[in-house]
Amino acid sequence: MFDIKVEGDGSVKLIGRLDASQTDRAREVLKEVEGPVTLDLSDLEYISSAGIGVIMETYKRLHGKGLSLRLVRLKPAVRAVFGFAGLERVLAIE
Amino acid sequence: MERRFRRDLSSLQDVFQFVSEFLSAHGLDASNAHDLELILEELFTNVLKYRKDGAETVAVRLERNGETITLSFQEFDVDAFDITKLPEPDLERPASERPIGGLGIHLIRKLAESVGYEYKDRVSTTTVTKKVGDDV
Repeated sequence: MFDIKVEGDGSVKLIGRLDASQTDRAREVLKEVEGPVTLDLSDLEYISSAGIGVIMETYKRLHGKGLSLRLVRLKPAVRAVFGFAGLERVLAIE
Repeated sequence: MERRFRRDLSSLQDVFQFVSEFLSAHGLDASNAHDLELILEELFTNVLKYRKDGAETVAVRLERNGETITLSFQEFDVDAFDITKLPEPDLERPASERPIGGLGIHLIRKLAESVGYEYKDRVSTTTVTKKVGDDV
């Protein structure tokens, strides 16, 4: 199960499991958001390279406009995947 | 335990279900699922993205040997594709310059104890081992 909710304060909440079968849904929402954006990952249980790809697309789009993308409240398993991907140091992860 | 899955993204949830069934059958904690699911998703989606030839189904085998889980992923009637020979992505590049994609095989290498490959009679077999309880 995956869900994505745009909240009123520039925050977007990702919920559940962002696997390859859910990236279209995530991409559809994230392509519309304008920064600065905070991704709240406190309820994200699982992410694969496909999910990371959607976040990287969003980061690049916003970065190109001089806007920021922050990732906050990551669960340990999700944080580890970003770490293995070498992104913990280059994305704004809190 | 072994099961075949159609080479289609809609099979992904069945692949995850297979991992759950395997863990239950062996009395293993559900915390072991995360890394196994991630490794399998990366192998499976790699086939969907880059392997246009081959049989309609792939085979996944999960075995427990003591404290080690061995995962075998087989494709049939395909050319060889040895993931152990692929170069590592450049993780030192700034995020804005990173290519989208190319991370999946790297994640498998980071999560696994070992990754092996065998190719015989047009059957491609990738074998990954993972320690029980060694979840992230």
